[in-house]
Amino acid sequence: MSLTTFLAELDGLIQELEKDLDKASSISQLEEVRIRYLSRKGRLAEVMKGLPKLAPEERPEAGRKANEIKEKLSSLWEAKKRFFEQKEKEERLRDFDPTLPGRIPPVGTLHPITLVIEEVSAIFTSLGFEVVLGPEVETDFYNFEALNIPPEHPARDMQDSLYITDKTLLRTHTSPLQVRTMLAKKPPVAAIAPGKVYRRDSDLTHSPMFHQIEGFLVDKKVTMADLRGTLTLFLHRVFGSETRVRFRPSFFPFTEPSAEVDISCVMCGGKGKVAGKTCRVCKETGWVEILGCGMIDPAVFKMVNYDPEEYSGFAFGLGVERIAMLKYSIGDLRIFFDNNLRFLKQFV
Amino acid sequence: MLLSLNWLKDFVPFAGDVEDLAHRLTMVGLEVEEIASPFAYLETVVVGKVVECKPHPKSDHLSLCKVDVGTEVLPIVCGAPNVAQDQLVPVALIGTTLPSGLTIKKAKLRGELSVGMICSAQELELGEDSSGIWVLNQEFSNLKVGDNLIDALGLDRYVLDIGITPNRADCLSVLGLAREVAVLYSLPLQLPCVEVKESTEEIDYEIEIKAPEDCYLYQARLLTDCTLKESPAWLRFRLLTSGIRPINNIVDVTNYVMLELGQPLHSFDRKLLAGKKIQVDLAREGQEFTTLDGKKRKLLRSDLLIWDAEKPVALAGVMGGENSEINENSTEVLLECAVFNPVTIRKTARRLGLSSESSYRFERGIDQLLSPFALERATHLLQQLTQARVLRGVARKETKPYKERIITFRSGKVSELLGIEISEEFCSKTLESLGCGLQPGAEKWLVTPPSYRQDLEREVDLIEEVGRIYGLDRIPATLPKVSKSLKVEKEDWFQFLSKIKHWAKGVGLNEAINYSFVAEETLDLLQKEDKEQRVYILNPLSEEQNVLRTNLLAGILNTVRVNFGRENRDLRLFEVAKTFFLDKEQETLCREEHRLALLLTGSREGNFWPYSADKKVDYLDLKGLVEHLAQVFGCQDLEFRLVENKDFYLKPWVKVFQQGEEIGFLGLVEEEIADRFEANQELWYADLNLEKIFACYQQKRYSFQELPKFPGTTRDITLVCPLSLKLVEVLEVISELKVALLEEVRVIDIFYPQGKAEKNVTLRLFYRSKDKSLKDKEVNKIHDKIGKTLLDKLDVRFP
Ligand SMILES: [Zn+2]
Repeated sequence: MSLTTFLAELDGLIQELEKDLDKASSISQLEEVRIRYLSRKGRLAEVMKGLPKLAPEERPEAGRKANEIKEKLSSLWEAKKRFFEQKEKEERLRDFDPTLPGRIPPVGTLHPITLVIEEVSAIFTSLGFEVVLGPEVETDFYNFEALNIPPEHPARDMQDSLYITDKTLLRTHTSPLQVRTMLAKKPPVAAIAPGKVYRRDSDLTHSPMFHQIEGFLVDKKVTMADLRGTLTLFLHRVFGSETRVRFRPSFFPFTEPSAEVDISCVMCGGKGKVAGKTCRVCKETGWVEILGCGMIDPAVFKMVNYDPEEYSGFAFGLGVERIAMLKYSIGDLRIFFDNNLRFLKQFV
Repeated sequence: MLLSLNWLKDFVPFAGDVEDLAHRLTMVGLEVEEIASPFAYLETVVVGKVVECKPHPKSDHLSLCKVDVGTEVLPIVCGAPNVAQDQLVPVALIGTTLPSGLTIKKAKLRGELSVGMICSAQELELGEDSSGIWVLNQEFSNLKVGDNLIDALGLDRYVLDIGITPNRADCLSVLGLAREVAVLYSLPLQLPCVEVKESTEEIDYEIEIKAPEDCYLYQARLLTDCTLKESPAWLRFRLLTSGIRPINNIVDVTNYVMLELGQPLHSFDRKLLAGKKIQVDLAREGQEFTTLDGKKRKLLRSDLLIWDAEKPVALAGVMGGENSEINENSTEVLLECAVFNPVTIRKTARRLGLSSESSYRFERGIDQLLSPFALERATHLLQQLTQARVLRGVARKETKPYKERIITFRSGKVSELLGIEISEEFCSKTLESLGCGLQPGAEKWLVTPPSYRQDLEREVDLIEEVGRIYGLDRIPATLPKVSKSLKVEKEDWFQFLSKIKHWAKGVGLNEAINYSFVAEETLDLLQKEDKEQRVYILNPLSEEQNVLRTNLLAGILNTVRVNFGRENRDLRLFEVAKTFFLDKEQETLCREEHRLALLLTGSREGNFWPYSADKKVDYLDLKGLVEHLAQVFGCQDLEFRLVENKDFYLKPWVKVFQQGEEIGFLGLVEEEIADRFEANQELWYADLNLEKIFACYQQKRYSFQELPKFPGTTRDITLVCPLSLKLVEVLEVISELKVALLEEVRVIDIFYPQGKAEKNVTLRLFYRSKDKSLKDKEVNKIHDKIGKTLLDKLDVRFP
């Protein structure tokens, strides 16, 4: 074999490789090309077998050329490989699916009752009220007598009780906290008392256990206008500042005067109708009852040794479930204590 | 209280709009809950005249009628035996729905067309008679053909349903409400007729009140030659409108006057009374008495009875006796009009579950000064309706005459309390219009409230009256200017509970709120040991709610059942609530413990890709939550100890100690218990004492530790241990060595070789020095020593 032939064969490899590289359309075909040309039994190695057959003086040049070709072949192949890799990277990016479900940690929720209690408490604490808590099993004294509801008073009919003994019962309202707090402190006092309360009553609109928030404030020269102002501010924060507030006389044994507070209906905005139909929340009256309140009765002040000539104060009590139902458009009271996960998880 | 507008108009010449009336009453504290139209179904029932009536050719009991209903003459097939030509009858026109639910449609009866229906009084719910059609012209005059029955019979188009608060006993009558309407509309008040024609014969009854504390006034009238019959329509209708079923003219009159004036009355059949004496006395302890509903009642010494000369004849103020009630043979009536102690009546009525219209009014207080008037009114009506002979005079005894109250009133206090300027003039005008006597003074007035306003006792009550009439809704909104100390507790209990709840939310738990009461059966199922400490409800609504929870699980199991029943089987729940235990030391006789419950069950991470539904929560998930809580709230050195107790509801049952003090427990709910709540999978439950955690939390302080300056190094060690060996035993051996350079020990693997009763535990030990880089040789020496000690002290080996 002559050097010329040898060199021509080497040169020829380049063109052949380029042709094969052009034809290669995948990484595996590319690998086949590498084996065909660059492996120990590949085309280059085959050509190189001719090297010992050359004359000794021709070998250095042939060797140099062979190396040159080998590098050239490798770099051509590498370039093609990089091309494929790049292409593959691009394809991977193109196929990335950002819409697959994520690994979401479990989502916790607070009960809507807790949400309302926390919202209301936050509003009143920002006004300087403190939050007080008390026992759920109460004595007749704190639950009734100290609140100006003596035994056999017809007002006891307003709250049918669950008794533990003849002198203790499950508290029927959070109002005992008025007495407990005032007995422990001298005026001025301003506090709210959220918690569970119990009545012997169970039907579509009554639950034997429900939640109330009692609020009260005592100082010198506190007026019913202050009560209205405080409640209006509170109701505007909870239901929006367009809410109208109405006071109408009522009766609670531990306040005098007493009032029932209505707000313009949250469903129909006080119009009484929704899309031409009778509003189911306010039954077309445009108003919904939201809480009871009044000026603390002098009889209660006497029980806690406050001088009614020196001090005056107001108190109010609101139903947490009622607010939750209005605020979150819940129609059925019983759903609160079923704790169906599908219900609970709506309050994320 | 149902108020007939027509009846109201007997007292005040009200001519206004019913909506306006309802609004004004509501705004003075007499809440109108509904403006009812109880007779709306009569709008299309009209007065018709039977102009022709002949037998049905194909029936022997049907008649073919032609009925003039004003606008047209309708063919109507009628099945009543008493139908006849020229009768005026009620005709329900096509489209009318009768109270029974029947809607009148055009029909063919045995081939004959019938357009409308001639009704009986009973079908219209205006009388008891169902024997035939209602022949109106026998009972009413001035009927006009074509008029609807509401107008024709003078029925109420509107009836107000008014919620009367317990303080307003005076408004439990038409008269009382009329007084308010008179004030609101500045109308004169007209009292009804009480004219009685007395015979010359005098009543010869003796009244003896043996229980003067329980009966303040007792009066009686005697009427003879009464004709007992159905009451006239106007009276029946008024009772119906007010929700009371008419019975006969005598009983109806007593009910009528009670509704009209608020004074309950009772009528005895005089011929059934022994002797000429009425006694008011308490019952004998254990005495039995049959009330007129036929029920035998067991009485106590505190129950008040009315007696004739020999026997009890009525349960005072609550219900009459069967032995003296008005019956179809009654001709002589002893009419009782009394005032009893409200508390006495209330106790009896409540204990016997016998709340009646009568007891309801007595409990709230009767206007004693009006009582004689009410007796005269009832006597007048009875005489009119039964043509009775009324004996001269009233048998009467009063042990406690009504005493006027005089209240000191400062008009300045009105503005001071209400926060709005109200003039003296308005105050005096209002109080007078409400019936108060007024004696003005420079600073103080003396006010005498009327006898019917027993709720007015103090100055503040009068202030309320002024505010009520002025309009509480006119009070402006101001904010209190309180001089309140800024001092508040560092962190109160409520804030802490809130933090706990937010922690639970943050770790992906859903808050549940369960009833505080559960079924005793449930507590028994869980644990019998706490029986003596349980707090029972004396008068539970049901056996399902008869005892307070001594553990939170008892309630949470209900939540589990609800959710499993709705295919929610993966639960991560928490509840913050109280448990209750008997405790004589407490003033409420009950110790309340605030606790946190956690419950995990079902899939650990999720049932769907990329998670696997096979991975279920286990002990380590729950324990991890407890440890997380402990870290966040500053509880250190937790210990978890397995407790053996066959009777407990958790198995395993692990108690958690914090620096030696128990703060709660956790474990797996017994399978049988879970099964009872339809939860056939593992329920992992933890129950923690929040007061104990609060104590830790209050101690929690942040204190900065220098960060390490030199690199540390680790060594692993694998021990082959018996299955019974607890990890803590290994860790204790290591910690007892007190190796200063050992920073931390962590488990990196636990492997259970197949077929062998042992486990391979691999630990990684972290070594570090505070002031230099450690050399391998040094570490190896310590590490080897630890390894050797473990082999010495424990039944373990190297693999
Ligand atoms: Zn509405």
